Amino acid sequence: MRDPVTLAIVSSASALVHARLLSTLHAAVPRVGVLDPGVFACDLAGTEELLGAPARVARRVLARCARIGVQVSAGIAPTPFVARVLAERTPAGEVRAVEDGRAFLASLPLDVLPVDEKVREELRLLGLRIVGDFAELPRGAVFDRFGSAVARAHALARGEFGDMVRATAPPRRIRARRVWDDAITSHEQLVFALRVVVDEISAALARDGLAALRLELRLDREDAGSLRIERSVLPPTRESTALHRSLRWALEERTEIGLVTGCALEVPEVEAARGRQIGLFAPDGARKEEAIATARYLRAKLGRGVVLRARVANADARLPERASEWLEVTV
Amino acid sequence: MGEIGLASAITRIEGRFGVHALARGDTSERRRSEIVIATKTSLDRVIGGGLAAGEPLAFVGPPSVGKLSLAFRAVVGAQAQGGTVAWVDPNASFDPRAAECAGIDLERVIVVRARRDAVALATAAALRSEGFRLVVVDAGDPALGGIDVDDLAPALPAVRGSPAAFLVVAAKRGRRVAVPAVVFERVAWERRFDRTVGWSFSVGATRGQSPLASRVLFHVTLDGGFEGDEAPIDRAEVAV
Repeated sequence: MRDPVTLAIVSSASALVHARLLSTLHAAVPRVGVLDPGVFACDLAGTEELLGAPARVARRVLARCARIGVQVSAGIAPTPFVARVLAERTPAGEVRAVEDGRAFLASLPLDVLPVDEKVREELRLLGLRIVGDFAELPRGAVFDRFGSAVARAHALARGEFGDMVRATAPPRRIRARRVWDDAITSHEQLVFALRVVVDEISAALARDGLAALRLELRLDREDAGSLRIERSVLPPTRESTALHRSLRWALEERTEIGLVTGCALEVPEVEAARGRQIGLFAPDGARKEEAIATARYLRAKLGRGVVLRARVANADARLPERASEWLEVTV
Repeated sequence: MGEIGLASAITRIEGRFGVHALARGDTSERRRSEIVIATKTSLDRVIGGGLAAGEPLAFVGPPSVGKLSLAFRAVVGAQAQGGTVAWVDPNASFDPRAAECAGIDLERVIVVRARRDAVALATAAALRSEGFRLVVVDAGDPALGGIDVDDLAPALPAVRGSPAAFLVVAAKRGRRVAVPAVVFERVAWERRFDRTVGWSFSVGATRGQSPLASRVLFHVTLDGGFEGDEAPIDRAEVAV
């Protein structure tokens, strides 16, 4: 497993500069997440061989930002939170790195933690002044007294919470178009013709390590105006088959499609592609998500109480209806 | 013309032979061991090793003869390969307790209680999905809310090329659609002290699906025994 390394970039930027900074970062590093306006987290895990040492990457990023006229500061740490706090305490145009996130945070005031002011006040009443004091508290006690949000802050204070950087879409559009000389008149032909378009989109997503969250299909028609179809893809995927199926189902819901002369398929919303956990000794384990997606489709089509999962509640019950429970398939 | 002509040709082929009759050149062939679901009973000898992905099969026979018991075995076989199973149940007769007794992991069975008209839709969607290893339709008795095998005709084009095997459990064969079937027949009741303690049934292929065996005998006893024809293969709980 690769050690997590996060580069945080902080600038006090306006919305316009934010967009320019984001595209600059996309050009420099493969995985960029937006934490806040003007605050970015870049996941550098495993990129050392390709891009060089994190500090070197950070200096290169700073130089790029300077070229577009924006002064930023950079922090390198094992987790996005520590990197961000570090970058916020680094003068513009400089790079700082820490290896032990917990030690770095220990001496900082409680204000750096993302908790309510009321909680912060309560912590102060308990005699806790700095992050280090808070981090020393037992995890279970913090959870029991303050709940999960503060427990998360506690994990952050210990430098433990390696929250994943949620990659944003690069500013370029993921889009594929086709124009056909002869109008397509049937669903089947259209579904087939869309395969090529979907394959193209799928390849583009794969190149960027992204999964489609939403699809927008525009069908140009000879005999009518454009037909727009929007689909949410759940779970997000870049697999051509799943995207194609989603579109096919959308088309099957329409009785008439008219004379289709062209199409444009775009992915307006994406998220970072996540690997699938494939069960050991289970070659088809990875297909469970597909099964759930189909179950959801059938539930949407057939209504509630139709697509179910069973569970034996009481194996000794005399009446069959008491022996088992039926649950809607949700996840 | 190019793409549209090709689309038309493929549409015609898919319309006639099923939606996945054609595969792209870069699609790798799956090995037979990957696509066959073994029931691990003597039935495998009749049906050529097991239920194959992309092929339909019907278990046909009178009620309470043992069709569901063997269907459960097929589900267990599919789950042993890590797959999820879709069980289309228009009659709402799926018994979770019996299924669990048969060794089925209920977490990996999705039961679709589709009504008569929606059975073909649910079946086709499950077959077209890449998420299922086996799709079972328990047709039930048409008089009691079940369906005829013929009602599944719209879903059959989706079978070929589907990653799932397709199993229909029905009392009678279809009149309009030809689904390869194995026929279940009760051979004899076993009685002891005027009480029925089990029965034996035979399962036979209808069209010589396997050159090795055309008929095998099973024996079911009320104490949960379930044996194949020759040497006892294994024992499984059977709901009776």
